[in-house]
Amino acid sequence: MRGLIVIAVLLMVGSAVALFAINYETRRIAGDVSRKEDALEKLRADIAVYKAERAHLSRPERIAPFARNLGLRPARQSQYQSPAGLLAGPDGRLGQGATP
Amino acid sequence: MRLVPRSSKRAQGATPVEARPVVVISPGLNHRARGRDQNGGQRKPRLRLRATLSLVAVGAGFMLIAGQLLRLASLHEDAPQAAISKPLATAFSRPDIVDRNGRLLANDVVIPSLYADPSVMLDIDEVAHELSAVIPSLSQAFIREAVQDRSRQFVWLKRGISPSTARAVHELGLPGLAFQYELKRAYPAGRLVGHTLGFVNVDNHGLAGIERFLDETNQTDPVYSPKLSHRKPVQLSLDLSVQHALHDVLGDAKRRYKAEAAAGVVIDVRTGEILAAVSTPGADPLVPQEAETPERADRLRSGVFELGSIFKLFTLADALERKAVTPDMSIDVTRPLVADGHVIRDPHPSPRPLTVSQVFTKSSNVGAGVLALSGGAAAQQAFLAKLGFDKPLRTEAGRGAFPQLPRRWNAIETVTVSYGHGLAVAPLQFAAAAVPIVNGGTRVPLTFFKRPAGWTNTGPRVVSRETVTAMRKMMRANVASKAGTGWRADVPGLDVGGKTGTAEIAVNGRYDPDAVISSFVGAFPMDEPRTLTLLSLFRPQPTRETGGKISAGVTAAPATARLIERIAPLLPTELLRKPAND
Repeated sequence: MRGLIVIAVLLMVGSAVALFAINYETRRIAGDVSRKEDALEKLRADIAVYKAERAHLSRPERIAPFARNLGLRPARQSQYQSPAGLLAGPDGRLGQGATP
Repeated sequence: MRLVPRSSKRAQGATPVEARPVVVISPGLNHRARGRDQNGGQRKPRLRLRATLSLVAVGAGFMLIAGQLLRLASLHEDAPQAAISKPLATAFSRPDIVDRNGRLLANDVVIPSLYADPSVMLDIDEVAHELSAVIPSLSQAFIREAVQDRSRQFVWLKRGISPSTARAVHELGLPGLAFQYELKRAYPAGRLVGHTLGFVNVDNHGLAGIERFLDETNQTDPVYSPKLSHRKPVQLSLDLSVQHALHDVLGDAKRRYKAEAAAGVVIDVRTGEILAAVSTPGADPLVPQEAETPERADRLRSGVFELGSIFKLFTLADALERKAVTPDMSIDVTRPLVADGHVIRDPHPSPRPLTVSQVFTKSSNVGAGVLALSGGAAAQQAFLAKLGFDKPLRTEAGRGAFPQLPRRWNAIETVTVSYGHGLAVAPLQFAAAAVPIVNGGTRVPLTFFKRPAGWTNTGPRVVSRETVTAMRKMMRANVASKAGTGWRADVPGLDVGGKTGTAEIAVNGRYDPDAVISSFVGAFPMDEPRTLTLLSLFRPQPTRETGGKISAGVTAAPATARLIERIAPLLPTELLRKPAND
């Protein structure tokens, strides 16, 4: 009977120590998690700013003058050709060996 | 239930002399107690009972603690926090808004806001002087006024400043100035999409346009700290490239024709998606008062105008739908039309009768009047109601302006409405009504949101297939032949069709022939249109380029050609199946 009580007391003390250890570990991890979450929020905020800046810098109003300076123009209807037209070629010669 | 003598622990073994009556609920227990008393007390079983009882009690206690632990462990960690700070939640986190190709139109950013704690400030004059040097928009007088009350500990000085300004303020090293981080909406595209997006207030709450729609449909979340939204971006139907092209073309037309303002819209007629919607001059979402000023108001949705002859689209469709006429029937337009004592003349009367088709391509007011009178006022009203003119147009950007219909609707109103006078509608509502005339005959609700893949239209049929085919032919003829008013809208290879409209603006109750709204409603490719465009130029002036004219045929029509040429390569490639040289 006494042995049983001793074992029980030891078990109790042991589990109390383990419980405290787990408790502190949990708090540490929770702290870690919240620090990581804060860092994540900070990163998301930074990304949001970069996204807005990139979109602002690449807005068409700003890009268009650059493109025109490079000699680029909006695509024109005449630059498009149907697949059949491509096979035929501009003067009908290119398409001679092609199979549709 | 019965009365028994009381047996207490102290009275064990002794015969109760005077028993106080008590109520015993469980008779069985009482028997046992009495039995023990008679045997002089059985200590061993009583001990065991006590031990068992205390064991059960202690066990129950532990169970309680364990249960509580489990409950605490399973609870979400944030819950108590949220409950505490809920009353402080004033801001809203909003999802990003992107165009149909995923290009960013609006998002939240976390930025510092400057506040003062007057209770710890040392020298108010120094603060006012140095701070207004760093942030010029804060006047010294304003700062002094704000921090005057030394008993306060929190006064906003400026909400939403750039990180570099915040750094400069921080480097001043003045006590009593501090920052709080807040959510603020950024609009990278600026004025380009301003009218459609609307704007938000200082707490990031949507007040107009799409932003307001997001709040009304619970797509925003109240937040207690500057936390960005985790929601998926809201995808609009707008295409930023098409929007820019439309803006460019309208700006160019405004300069060329010295117009006061211009508005335009590009619509996918099969899905009702608005690909571009521009009213220029535009409004900056970051400056909400801009959209309120008359010159920067959104003329596309919130203004109503008499749009003129583009309404003949509906007059002709109605007459064909009623089977009152066929496109080849002749109508006498050589003489003026008299209705309710008013005389209606064509600006350039035709010496010969015109076919119904020619009434359209030559834009004869008399012809349109005759066609409208053939059905009468009631039929006209019913047809316009079927096209949605009986109530304002609703889109995600908000309710459009109420259409102004004639109060009395007699013969003369029927005639003027037939060529787009005497009723005023928002241009976007006109475009919405024109969609079924070209798309095959069914109404499609206009939307600023991208339709999901596989979306099919279940709108009501407004006109028959035959009417649509006839209308498409007429619209194409109006542009394809030099005899039409819209020939300048033609783009080789794209099969453009459409109708011009030059509406005189009523100034002080009289129509002023020098102040007009020139519009062109166009569609392409005309054999099975995919895209509808509407361009309106407000008060264009005669120039050398237009030969001194201001009519839509020389202003809005060529602008439409430039627009369509520009946007066709940006639209789905099936539009380009026709090579330019066929």
